[in-house]
Amino acid sequence: MEQVLTILIADDNPSDRILLKAILSQFGHNVISAVDGQDAVEKFDPHTIQLVCLDIKMPRKDGWEAALDIQRAAGEVFVPIIFLSGVTDPIALSNCLRIGGIDFISKPYSPALITAKLNAIVRLLVMQKTLEEQRDAMSLYNEKLLNDQEVAKVVYENITNSNCLKDSALSTIHYGTHTFNGDVILAAYKPNGGMHLLLGDFTGHGLSAAIGALPLADIFFDWTKKGFLMRQIIPEINARLKGVLPSNMFCSAAFIDIKVNNKSIEVWNGGLPDLLLFPQNVSKPVRFTSKNLPLGVLSPDEFECQIEPMSFASGDRLMAFSDGVYEALDLSGKMFCQSVLKPLYDGEVDAAQSIDWLTQQLEQEGVLENPHDDISCLSVRLDTSIGIDSPEYKVSKGHDETPADFSFEYVLNADSLRNTDPLPYVLQILTTVPGLSSFSSQIFMILSELYSNALEHGVLKLSSDKKNSSDGFSRYYEEREYNLANLQEGYVKISVKVTSENNNRALILYVEDSGSGFDFQSVNYDISNTELLYNRGLALLDQLCSKLEFSKGGSAVTAHYHWQVGLER
Amino acid sequence: MVESFFDEVTGCLTILVKGRFDYSCHKIFKEAFTGVTKVKECRVDLAGVTYLDSSALGMLLLLRDHVGAENEEIRLVNVNSAVIDILKMANFHRLFDIAE
Repeated sequence: MEQVLTILIADDNPSDRILLKAILSQFGHNVISAVDGQDAVEKFDPHTIQLVCLDIKMPRKDGWEAALDIQRAAGEVFVPIIFLSGVTDPIALSNCLRIGGIDFISKPYSPALITAKLNAIVRLLVMQKTLEEQRDAMSLYNEKLLNDQEVAKVVYENITNSNCLKDSALSTIHYGTHTFNGDVILAAYKPNGGMHLLLGDFTGHGLSAAIGALPLADIFFDWTKKGFLMRQIIPEINARLKGVLPSNMFCSAAFIDIKVNNKSIEVWNGGLPDLLLFPQNVSKPVRFTSKNLPLGVLSPDEFECQIEPMSFASGDRLMAFSDGVYEALDLSGKMFCQSVLKPLYDGEVDAAQSIDWLTQQLEQEGVLENPHDDISCLSVRLDTSIGIDSPEYKVSKGHDETPADFSFEYVLNADSLRNTDPLPYVLQILTTVPGLSSFSSQIFMILSELYSNALEHGVLKLSSDKKNSSDGFSRYYEEREYNLANLQEGYVKISVKVTSENNNRALILYVEDSGSGFDFQSVNYDISNTELLYNRGLALLDQLCSKLEFSKGGSAVTAHYHWQVGLER
Repeated sequence: MVESFFDEVTGCLTILVKGRFDYSCHKIFKEAFTGVTKVKECRVDLAGVTYLDSSALGMLLLLRDHVGAENEEIRLVNVNSAVIDILKMANFHRLFDIAE
């Protein structure tokens, strides 16, 4: 550990000073001499001097005062100070150490002792230097890491956030244990009105947990926008997560489809605590228990999608939360699910205030100060106005005036009816029509109403009367699943025609099914909400289309949709 | 805390977990099965587990991946009711044989 030091020595006694200088120089160190304490302070430079030796008794400024001044001048740089002393008084010597000296050398000098002490100091200096370098490297690394995280966080939030989360029907809470949150809440308007919601909780916390949210959000937003259904989106997310995540990582999640046209929700729960639906006229909430494995566990061919449908009335509320809430510990150490949440499950909490109530409980029980897990919760006030005429779709119209003129026919027979949802594909073609994409939500709504009427009432021969009670409602959907799975024959034909004439554009949708039709003559649009109108969404269709015509005994329907281009606005 | 025994004769791997089954067990739990080949039967004894989080579920999936290559069933035994609730919420009873 040979190292050349630059040493400042101060001693008013010339012979002692010269002797010490001679000894130190002999070991190859650079020596700067000062004649007293004041001189030493003036000659001290923290950047060049690595060791200071001060005599205690000196004129002008003694060793102790000089030591304090030198330490002040050194600031953050560590410069060891050794006192030189002829005195042997223990109190004087211990004073030297108390004010920050690291050692003392007694006079008369012994070269052997000085060598030993210098070696010890060199070791100390080397260690100090290594520590300082490591500290600097660490703080630089930490700064870089935080900066990287900030950048990544912005990207992450841009991808996982949508302005739908600001919809007045939604309230959410979101507390992370790290910069990154392993929980996600996603919300997207569907093109035919209503909304898709997803609350997900990835294994673990922090960045490693958050990273899985990127493909999840990507598929969720993209596929919802394209008009795919919940039961098509979930398997796709599962397959993608299974493909990209390591096998010990997965995402517990709940997917909620709010369907405004038939006032119902569909819930898929894979690994989250029960979702709660609070109907206004019932005292206890309806619970949607997890019936699926979390996303990303099963391979696509093993994956099953168990979805529960339920009808709602405007003003009912649905609530979902991650296990960070469910398993949070209250002050007595009990899990929330066994203590705090009981009034919620028993229907004793006002559903409209449920989120505020929950936040208050989390605060009271000290969970928010010291969360062990990411915490998130969402509550949605169910209503038929959700996603209808939402600002997102109020795109300025009429920019694109290029005329279009085409038609096509798409016939789905039994096999395809079982396995395909044709609507996203039809919609994709229609949105290529210049100017029509700004109306895509209305077009999709018309299209999906026509198609589900044709499929459910025409081909599958389901009676809409069943949908009236909430019990009948789930039976209706069970029957729909069953009939569709066992469908042997039948067809739905979709014909699309787009025409342009001057500034007028028209879309004619013709949908025909293999069923026996229905008594369309009795449909009276003036009376709002006869059962038939309501159940078949005809009132809605009538509102959206400029003309609605039935033919072939009700088994075929033609919807006319008109729009204009080049208008002053 | 994780302990494991492998019976060379019967090919039965037993993994015993105690206390909190969470990320802190990750390394040792993984070591409990990665070194062992020719597992014919696997038992995970959760009698002493007071709490289990999602990373523990992830570890069980890792075990299933490792042992499941030979298509052997994994049994979770002595599972207390609080832990069963968590396993059921994640529908893990469809992947593992769970016994109280």
